[in-house]
Amino acid sequence: MALDRKIAYIDLSTGKSEIKPIPLEVRKKFIGGRGLDAYLLFNNAPQGCDPLGPENTLIISGGLLTATCASATSRTHIMAKSPLTGLLGSTNMGGFFSAEMAWADFHHLVITGKAEKPVYLWIHNGQIEIRDAVKLWGKSSTETQWAIREELGDQEIKSAVIGQAGENLVTYANVMTGIKNAGGRTGMGCVMGSKNLKAVAVRGTMDVKIAHPLEALEFNKKFIEQITTAKVNKTQGTLGTHFIWGATNSWGGIRTRNFQFNQMENADELEPESLDDIATETMGPYHMTGCFGCQVHCRAQYRIPSGPYAGIYNEGPEYTSFGAFGSEPDCNKAETVLTANYLVNQYGVDNLEIGSIISWAMELYELGIITSKETDGIDLRFSNADALIEMIHRICTRKGWLGNVLADGGIPASEKIGKHSFDYLIQVKGMNNLHSDERATPGLALNIATSSRGSDHLRSRPAIDLYHLPESVLRKIYSSPVPYEGPLSSDSMEYIGKPWQVFWQENCYMAVDSIGICKYHTTFLGATLPNFEDWPRAIYLNTGLELTPKDIWDAAERSNNMERLFNLREGLTRYDLVKGDMLNHRYFDEPCLRGAPDVIGIMIDRKKFDVMVDEFYGHHGWDKEGVPTQATLTRLGLEQEPTHLL
Amino acid sequence: MAIENEKVSASESLRKTRTYGKVRCMNPSCMGRLEPAPGSMQITCPVCGMSYRLFWVTPELPRIRGPVWEVNRKLAEEVMAKKKLEASKDGSL
Repeated sequence: MALDRKIAYIDLSTGKSEIKPIPLEVRKKFIGGRGLDAYLLFNNAPQGCDPLGPENTLIISGGLLTATCASATSRTHIMAKSPLTGLLGSTNMGGFFSAEMAWADFHHLVITGKAEKPVYLWIHNGQIEIRDAVKLWGKSSTETQWAIREELGDQEIKSAVIGQAGENLVTYANVMTGIKNAGGRTGMGCVMGSKNLKAVAVRGTMDVKIAHPLEALEFNKKFIEQITTAKVNKTQGTLGTHFIWGATNSWGGIRTRNFQFNQMENADELEPESLDDIATETMGPYHMTGCFGCQVHCRAQYRIPSGPYAGIYNEGPEYTSFGAFGSEPDCNKAETVLTANYLVNQYGVDNLEIGSIISWAMELYELGIITSKETDGIDLRFSNADALIEMIHRICTRKGWLGNVLADGGIPASEKIGKHSFDYLIQVKGMNNLHSDERATPGLALNIATSSRGSDHLRSRPAIDLYHLPESVLRKIYSSPVPYEGPLSSDSMEYIGKPWQVFWQENCYMAVDSIGICKYHTTFLGATLPNFEDWPRAIYLNTGLELTPKDIWDAAERSNNMERLFNLREGLTRYDLVKGDMLNHRYFDEPCLRGAPDVIGIMIDRKKFDVMVDEFYGHHGWDKEGVPTQATLTRLGLEQEPTHLL
Repeated sequence: MAIENEKVSASESLRKTRTYGKVRCMNPSCMGRLEPAPGSMQITCPVCGMSYRLFWVTPELPRIRGPVWEVNRKLAEEVMAKKKLEASKDGSL
């Protein structure tokens, strides 16, 4: 059965590993992927452990439906305590890695300890080896993957690797697979680096037995049709995820100059159509590619058209790279974005975090909080593309005082820089915010403030809010599988009803991350895409596991509470600007200055925001401090955690 | 696409509401549906005055490429001036 894939526990300190099955009751309770990872982390990482110490537990997983007949189930999830935030570390990437891991018989890898010298894991058809990686240390993410294939003599091997940023313990280093698939948030590459773990290589040729194969294939045709006929996915398949950046910038929902403005004017060269032109010119008309089992193909292939890296092949860039290297530092050349995107993929560092932290430093430089003494003479003003590129190199290699300081992450850097620099750091729970501006969208502001891994648009963002869908449509979506009769508003600038939407989307995305599918195949940007009601049949036909929509909802809610318990255990308190569910003061105090007429002058109302948080906690069954009540824990079967069932 | 073959889920039923050939004005409380002429490169919202440059994903599927910057800036400046005037009147400025 597809469900038979196992958990491997690997101790890098001792070199020993143990393989265990996943009991059915645990599957039903946490499904798989991120949900089960949350359980494993809470049960295996000791309270207060050093994120860079051997006791931190790094978990790599595929979702429940990974490598089955179901469409777009290619997501790989990685979890550990974050070196960036000190709270939950969690990241999710596409590509082909998790499917290969499933064919090698594994669903979850739980990695503890620290190797004495650089190593990599070689996992193939149920076997686990720890191999020498001394020769791989210092190589970029792509070089590492090629070198492993060369060494093992198999071009089909898929590897999750770190680049130099992970080796240098940049606290927001990525795990990379393929050219550009990035496990990019919360520094999971840094955790790998701290364990001297350069890569996890997998190759599998084992059968995945599908419960009802013919019906599963037939059913998937309908599923694919539902996904590929959506307007949003037709657009993604042509322009990539970057089309969202273009749309958001149109009305003034983008951050630029580190939150000073909410629209990048005259950004024509950064619009997705411009990248489409570059990709077409350098790669030909069929330049879009996709992840394992996906029909959307949202990823552009291109060659950098000009500059010192001209001619180099790369993929993407996604929405975030255009924010990180375009609008945030106010650099309006496509070449800058494409070059920076290439560099972060090779160094293995989070594009969002590094773009934000450099833009923050640029504002500090313009304010005189840091000077040319700290920058080694670099003119770190906004719009200086050369300075941006140089700072990427310096951070990833920890070169110079500022490069080294910024490599530690925003909050430690603000402590070292001092002089009110923290006030300008646009972060939640120590993680920089997405390059969108949520002052005109209170629901999205609530989402980023309360997300479990710090400021995050992929944990609960009710992005369909932006479409002004009729309330009847919203009610149809948000009243299933749990009835909801409270307020809902078609107005994205309203505050009412948003806490429920954020709560619902939070459960939806947890389910998606646990099943292992891509968020572009659910109610993220398209109201007509599958959600709770649509998944049970795909699960049943592929795995034989009978779950109702409510069962999936309950498992998602349970898993979200596991993440909350982890964060509370590690110090989260509601109003803490460093570890709480709070937003930077600029959301409340500085009005939007650009964009569509309705957006001008808008900011978040502090009192209404506080009421939203109260209501959001209430939907969860949490008290006013955001702590799950005993009744909630009992209802979800979490009152005995940690139970160490696995 | 629910667990029962015959039952239609919310997302399936909503597919009937999909529209092609139109875009929405991106001014948040306007959001009027605009139907550009096939192949046209610009459109202006008759309600709020926002003007947009267009891209055609397919011959049937238009997309807003971005605002017409000059129009966008002019409208923004007008709103800002009005808000400043109101604020100076009520003493909040």
